[in-house]
Amino acid sequence: MSYLDLSIREIHNALLLKKVTIVELVKEALERAKKDDNNAFECILEKEALEKAIELSKKEIPNENYFYGIPYVAKDNFSTKGVETTGSSNVLSGYVPLFDATVIKYLNDAGAILIAKTTLDELAMGGTGTSGHKGKTFNPYDESHTHMIGGSSCGSAAAVSAAIVPFALGSDTGDSVRKPASNSALVGMKPTWGLISRFGLFPFAPSMDHVAYFTRNVSDSALLLNLLSKHDDNDETNSYKKRDDYFGDLKGDVKGKKIAVVKEIRNSITDEEMNKKYNDSLEFLKNAGAIVEEVSINKDLLTSIFPTYFIISCAEATSNNANLDGVKFGPNYGGKTYQEVMYNARTKGFSGLIKRRFVIGSYSLMSENQHDLFLRAQKARHLIVDAFNEVFKTYDAIYLLAAPSPASKFDEASDRLNNDYLIADNYLAYGNFGGFPSITIPLGFKNGLPYGGNITSKPFDEKDVFDLALKLESFTKLSDVSCLNYKEKEAK
Amino acid sequence: MKAVNKDVLKDAANRLLFDMSDEQYDMLLEEFHIIQTQFELIGKIKGVDETTPMTFSFDVTISLMREDVPSTPLSRDEVLKNAKSVQDGQIKLPKVV
Repeated sequence: MSYLDLSIREIHNALLLKKVTIVELVKEALERAKKDDNNAFECILEKEALEKAIELSKKEIPNENYFYGIPYVAKDNFSTKGVETTGSSNVLSGYVPLFDATVIKYLNDAGAILIAKTTLDELAMGGTGTSGHKGKTFNPYDESHTHMIGGSSCGSAAAVSAAIVPFALGSDTGDSVRKPASNSALVGMKPTWGLISRFGLFPFAPSMDHVAYFTRNVSDSALLLNLLSKHDDNDETNSYKKRDDYFGDLKGDVKGKKIAVVKEIRNSITDEEMNKKYNDSLEFLKNAGAIVEEVSINKDLLTSIFPTYFIISCAEATSNNANLDGVKFGPNYGGKTYQEVMYNARTKGFSGLIKRRFVIGSYSLMSENQHDLFLRAQKARHLIVDAFNEVFKTYDAIYLLAAPSPASKFDEASDRLNNDYLIADNYLAYGNFGGFPSITIPLGFKNGLPYGGNITSKPFDEKDVFDLALKLESFTKLSDVSCLNYKEKEAK
Repeated sequence: MKAVNKDVLKDAANRLLFDMSDEQYDMLLEEFHIIQTQFELIGKIKGVDETTPMTFSFDVTISLMREDVPSTPLSRDEVLKNAKSVQDGQIKLPKVV
């Protein structure tokens, strides 16, 4: 047993009781990181992490600060002062930010220790964990390296599910934390849009971008939200609403809670084994006093979630990434004119996938196409959000399987657009359309590969999301599961 | 909607200041046909064209001003640290005129 296999609270208690020191903990996390064979890391910050561990060890460990001395990793699209940050794209090779993202600052101030930056789909624009400049990131649950972990927050998910660290930062624009969480038995939380500052997070599609994160249990997830959700003036979209005490309020009480099951999404999932586990979990919730009912949403609207997401995100991305031109930062390949300098930097710096997405985004914004593409997508988004808000008028949360299957094989899925967009494979983006708080938790394993359930609620109702998730955790008994201990947990 | 062909896509890419391989343009053309089909279907959803476009999930209007706190901006050296072509304290680009 290693202390890294435990929850944040248990590690904190071990530190307080001097069963382990901060330096020992960080050294072990670094050793595990160096042995990683899943391509989880852009860089490992051995020197910086050890220096900070030694510095923190000189002071008394604060009783109430759970994050003091706890190692963690961050997706490489969070700005980190003095540490190269590329977004897993060649266009930013060598870029060293001059400031820390707000969430990095909050964690640093609390005494958490960043030990590595993690791989992602290039600039967070993908869902397979294959398009970053370092290649495929693998799923720690599959030693044969044939199944993906999913993206875009692939490296962060791999690091937590391999118990290298107890938590990791990611970002979620469509499902980029919640889908990999389902594939790797993690708790993946995307809170309400505007609850966590995005200052210093590379923008992809700001109307849907969220800071999100992975933990290995629900209580740690609530604890981390208390720290990350402090208001920040540097992000003009950061909410002024008073934050709750997400961890302190966590009870896991679902008595009288109304839970909706969207029939059309449920019916689009045909895996018998997963459906059985899901149905058992619904029965468990009913027995715990929750009211579970089926609701219906227009199937055409649900089918339009993916193309709507695709057009809006591509359009926003093409505009947001216009500053990546090799002039102010990133490799500069020269040229006879300033346009040629930029042309060379962008042609050589972006992968084919990213360029195709930029062209699609730009085309959908052209005045002659806007009505049929971009504006139509924004209108469809409105209808989709209205449909889910209607459900939330009556119900406290929607609970469904997070995906139609465990992780796909690398040769079975790609980021190329196709017409086979199963509702269940892409529906999670409704949480980004509406800014709804949404959590994925591990539900079970099929042939050794994990799959998860997803709970989503109305804006700023993180409490219901966490309470339901905690209750379900007592059903699955998969708290603190990792690829190192899952066989033992699964047997229970 | 503007008709899509390889030349239109090449022009769009060049306006975004990059080029792609022929294979990528072919792939993109296929993707555009899929997008057009999907958006024609979305156009048939009842009420979609009468709905207002949604930019943000909910109202994010802020009606208060931040405190006017003076702060020190980045130094010139820091700002130029990530630029690869610098001369006399400025980013150097090819002559415009």
